[in-house]
Amino acid sequence: MLRPYLFAVVIMNSAALRDAAQSSSVPLEAELVSSMTWLITIRWLAGIGVLGATFVADTFFRVSLPALSLYLLGVIILVYNAAFHLIARRLMRKEPRAHHQSDFFTKTQIGCDWLAMTALIHFSGGLESPAIFYFFFHVVIASILLSMRATFLYAAMAALLISAIGIGEYAGALPHYFVLANASAALYRQPLFVLGTIFFFSSTMFVAAYLASTLNARLRKREAQVVTLSQNLLSAYTRLETVYESAEAVNSTLELTQVLDRLVQRTADALGVRACSIRLLDETGARLNVAAVYGLSDAYVKKGDLTLDQNPLAREVIAGKAIIVNDVATDTRLQYPQQALEEGIASMLSAPLHGKQGPLGLIRAYSVDAYHFTADDAEFVSAIARQGSIAIENALAYQALGKLDQMKSRFVMTVTHELRSPVSVVRSLLRTLLAGYVGELGETQREMLQRVQYRADFLQTLIDDLLDLAAGKADVSAKEEIVPVRLDEAVARVVERFTIPAQEKAIALEWECACADGPIKIAATNEGIDRVLNNLVSNAVKYTPHGGRVAVKLFARANRATLEVADSGIGIPEDALTHLFEEFYRAPNARAQVKEGTGLGLAITKDLIVRYGGHIGVQSQAGRGTTFTVTFPILIELPV
Amino acid sequence: MANEKILIIDDDDDLVLAMRLPLEAAGYKVARAANGEEGLKKVKEVKPDLIILDVMMDSTTAGFQVSLALRSPDPTSEYKAYSKIPILMLTAIHSTTPLRFGPDQEYLPVDTFIEKPIEPAKLLDQVRKHLKS
Repeated sequence: MLRPYLFAVVIMNSAALRDAAQSSSVPLEAELVSSMTWLITIRWLAGIGVLGATFVADTFFRVSLPALSLYLLGVIILVYNAAFHLIARRLMRKEPRAHHQSDFFTKTQIGCDWLAMTALIHFSGGLESPAIFYFFFHVVIASILLSMRATFLYAAMAALLISAIGIGEYAGALPHYFVLANASAALYRQPLFVLGTIFFFSSTMFVAAYLASTLNARLRKREAQVVTLSQNLLSAYTRLETVYESAEAVNSTLELTQVLDRLVQRTADALGVRACSIRLLDETGARLNVAAVYGLSDAYVKKGDLTLDQNPLAREVIAGKAIIVNDVATDTRLQYPQQALEEGIASMLSAPLHGKQGPLGLIRAYSVDAYHFTADDAEFVSAIARQGSIAIENALAYQALGKLDQMKSRFVMTVTHELRSPVSVVRSLLRTLLAGYVGELGETQREMLQRVQYRADFLQTLIDDLLDLAAGKADVSAKEEIVPVRLDEAVARVVERFTIPAQEKAIALEWECACADGPIKIAATNEGIDRVLNNLVSNAVKYTPHGGRVAVKLFARANRATLEVADSGIGIPEDALTHLFEEFYRAPNARAQVKEGTGLGLAITKDLIVRYGGHIGVQSQAGRGTTFTVTFPILIELPV
Repeated sequence: MANEKILIIDDDDDLVLAMRLPLEAAGYKVARAANGEEGLKKVKEVKPDLIILDVMMDSTTAGFQVSLALRSPDPTSEYKAYSKIPILMLTAIHSTTPLRFGPDQEYLPVDTFIEKPIEPAKLLDQVRKHLKS
């Protein structure tokens, strides 16, 4: 009973695979070769199955069957399969494989299998053979694997085969073998049985073929829809991811060149094209200068700037439209078509970069294939351009801000240099005067001159602080040399300096260093670090009332040196905390307590700390005290 | 008491005044030159026992040039005879100024720095100290 089933599967699969090969995108030859090999493998089992089943039925169950014929059939199957095996191997070696040859070969195999199957049904009882019911499953499976037409053809063949056997045996043209049925009943001789069986068998085959293949056709359609849908989704997802990634990438920095470089590279990658560039409008708004390039030659980049009055394409893009040039060779809107062709560029896609203040420039993708870009691509690049525009605008604003800050600092530096000299002369003269070299001074005169001196000295401090601050920001060229600085030693020195002032206010000045693992070194300048530490400790002492406590702690953790300066002083009100590091800012309670002070100390301190790659933070509670926490990257010196 | 001659080379009249008063009160004879060139001329003329030299005058490094000329190691230098005169350099060098090095026979051949503003007592201390040696 197993035998016909096996055969049917063999036959069906060969057809299914051929069918699949014709409709799929997989190369036809490869599909055919695989179907051939598969068919041959299965047929070995079928042949052995026929021999084995005959032996078992004959020897153990004493079923009366034409054993000799069935053995012979099994051997025949194995023999022709061996022949097919050899032919298949020879065919596979041929390059290129002849398609029609393979097709003919497959058909030959199927034909042989049909004949073998017919013989098998015949030898196992003809119409009385229960094996004929297996055709029902075969039709269902065929409908899954084959086209609707092939399924009906299969059903018709099955009906024809069964009819031929039934009628042949009824008419006596074929001998009948009683395998399972009662020999006395001789059903195969009764016309009603023969016709009825054939009719019901055939109609079952066709109805089953119809139902199964209709259902399967629907399923296949759905499946195709799902595949298309998931492909679309995947592509949309990939692009969205690129947009998101570029947004993230370009917004993670404020350096204009970095923003633009990332943008062009990501866009080219996402579109799968050779190159991408960004051009930004210059101050006049008439020219587009190259701002970032990915994948273009220097020669092409240097061909010249795009001028809007000579470049209708750029004009249109700047006006806010994404434009595709499908074929560089024929498009008349380009300013440098010849150079583009020499560069190997066949098509382009340009999209506007448009900020809040107006047009910024354009982004352009270049492909080596004509007609490369689709409307979807245009939409995609426009989305990237929108993200990019925000980032570019931010970066431009940041750049402008930086320039302004530098200009301001340079101005402040010049002014303070000019101020310093006269102030120091005034102070020198005052000192000479107060020392009595111009004659004896009366008590009131002396007192008043001392007030003048006090004010002049404060003026000097203010100017020096301003100069420090301006120098930190303006000075790019003449930076002092950064050297390894022993932070533990520097802190100890500054703490030592404040021992006496602290004692005068009965402040407990504590100093703790977790430096057991060796010296803590950072990259800085000795003067700068001294200034930072001096500011922090002097503030702590200055703003801590009589009998208070100032604790300085230094420790190393995770490659960073951490310095804490904690005091039990007046504290900093919450709304003052955010302004603390601003220039000229002084917290109201600090101003009330200590009159003089420039409000520049912490601004300078922070500036210096940042310059050495460090960070400063503050925690405070008004009336309770303040803790400044400063961290620096620890300098790791490689052994020489 | 002291009768030594001191040459102040400085372009700022007021600062010169601030120094001249205590120096004269201490009994020194004070001469003055308003720029580097005049300073070198006055050195030959006055033959001072000590020189107080400003850095920035007609140029930002005029003072350095004067000291380098006076202390030139060239044996044929016209200032050979004056190379032993102590030089006190006036500085307003601040922590942000890129020039920051101590007195050095080769690079900055001066004996000491005097910081602005001038403290009369400190100035006299330094002058006395360098005249003695």
